[in-house]
Amino acid sequence: MTDALFLVLSALAIWSGWRVFRVDSMVRASFQLMVSFIAVGLIAVLLAAPYIGIATIFMMAVEMMVMALFMVMFMMNPAGLNPMVMVHQHRFSVAAGITAFAGLVLAVLLSDLRAQPLPVDAQVVRALGHELLGPSMLIFETAGVTLLAAMIGAVVLSAHSGRYGGSDQGSRPPGLHPGGEPAGRKPDKHGGHQHHGHHGGH
Amino acid sequence: MIPAAFSLLIALPPLMWAAAVFDRVGTGRGATFIGPLRNGAALMLRPNTPTEAPDALNRLLAPGWYLALALVGLSVVPLTEGVVATDLSTGLVLWGACEALTVVVVFLHGWSPNSPLPLIGAYRYVAIGLPAMLLSMFVLIAAALPAQSLSVVEVVEAQRSLWNVIRQPLGLPLFMGLGLAITLRGPFDYADGAELAGGTSAEESGPALALWRIARLAMLVAFSAMSATAFLGGYLGPGLSGPVWLLLKTVAVMAATVAAGRWFARMPPARMLSFIWVVLLPLSFANLALVGIEVLP
Amino acid sequence: MTLTSVLIVAAALIGIGFYGALSQQSFVMLMMGLELMLNGAILAIIGFWSFSLGGMPEGQLLAIIVMAVMAVEMAVGFALVVAVYRKRQADMTESLTTLKH
Repeated sequence: MTDALFLVLSALAIWSGWRVFRVDSMVRASFQLMVSFIAVGLIAVLLAAPYIGIATIFMMAVEMMVMALFMVMFMMNPAGLNPMVMVHQHRFSVAAGITAFAGLVLAVLLSDLRAQPLPVDAQVVRALGHELLGPSMLIFETAGVTLLAAMIGAVVLSAHSGRYGGSDQGSRPPGLHPGGEPAGRKPDKHGGHQHHGHHGGH
Repeated sequence: MIPAAFSLLIALPPLMWAAAVFDRVGTGRGATFIGPLRNGAALMLRPNTPTEAPDALNRLLAPGWYLALALVGLSVVPLTEGVVATDLSTGLVLWGACEALTVVVVFLHGWSPNSPLPLIGAYRYVAIGLPAMLLSMFVLIAAALPAQSLSVVEVVEAQRSLWNVIRQPLGLPLFMGLGLAITLRGPFDYADGAELAGGTSAEESGPALALWRIARLAMLVAFSAMSATAFLGGYLGPGLSGPVWLLLKTVAVMAATVAAGRWFARMPPARMLSFIWVVLLPLSFANLALVGIEVLP
Repeated sequence: MTLTSVLIVAAALIGIGFYGALSQQSFVMLMMGLELMLNGAILAIIGFWSFSLGGMPEGQLLAIIVMAVMAVEMAVGFALVVAVYRKRQADMTESLTTLKH
């Protein structure tokens, strides 16, 4: 029963991981990635690591949601209404991916894997808690400071009064000629009220 | 496990009807008790609105996923000693995962019709729903600290001496804020707001809309049961039997949540965002720190 | 469900992620390839922890560290995407040519 479930979940994880790069819609790609993470999280629950599995699902749902928002903000074609394949060095990448997979499988099959399975009555969550706040406290404090540094860096890079100019200035679309003016109506300098006095004269 | 699941499934429809009745009380629409059933029956007969180039799969499935998340969240609630549908050692984290996936499902519901008003509703909701969900996880961790376990069963057992709402007074109000957010109610109703002509449900009618509204009510019941379990002691109480106490506490939290939804005004999204990050999250940190200090010796 | 099968699934995820990271032109899709590789890594870690380490808590610890690293990488990556877009309106790797010889 566990084996059948593991087979279904791994097939789901691999298939949705592959579909991430095949679907036309960017938003759908990020949610396919989320499905892959959910499948891996459920496999972790099957492997008797309930906290890791469900925390993976939790965190990845939030991260993929943010990624989907970024897709709609920055990418063309978020809805996938037109077919889209934006790849470069495709054959090389396919070869590299297959080589990586083959190399790793070879390493797995040829190496001598130790077998020391989990004891059946292990209290894994309690052990994890003791480990986090005991011997590995320094690692976690460092990770916390690293996260803080990443947050400060992200805010500095994307703040409204940006380092490279105001955050609104970069949002002009590219020009009709390189370096030229973008297409479309230019907003009125005085807020449109200068047109209001011209009704009488024909 | 199976009897608990069955009892939950049998108790859910009357509780959802009670939630719909609470929604109608005091709105002046009349027909408080029969009204929700009449509306539901009428919606079943109406056709759905087709839109241009929608994401068909997500449009079809989003209300179903919302309902499924509500059911999974409800399944971690213990009905009485030793009777729980999902006996997981990390029940609180499973509830948190259901909350996170609710935000995803509401976004999918708004993005799939390929229409501007639902997309705006979905966007605003994600910006508010994600920090609200963070808030709830800190509050639930504070509730789990006296129990020294992430299992919901242990959290209830640790409240035998004193309910969590008395030990951690900030916990329940903050958690009810999250409840309003995941059931798209009141001050957190950025997804289905009336100013967006129904928001993520703007392009929806018929059985799909009925299923979305049923899922909202089911999520309200699941949230009320969870907060009754984590803060009000679940099935603990003198005199009456366990499940009866749980029912009474769930109905009380449901009524309080609906009333809170009517009481507070909805702020513009930017202001609500500042409010959550600058006021509510530090309050939840303070709550966690106070509980830690109390539990430490 | 043996260690070998879990590791083969993890290797497949890493291979697909590697293909995605090398082949995609848009920044966000490239980052999704990197996320898939880390996904495979987490699965491999939990597989080793469950079958070969006898439940040592350091195994779960490593998985949590990898998740934290994923969060940091996504945050800084998206901030960089935003900054690059504001400066050059570039959302594809092809548009960034300043380091080319």
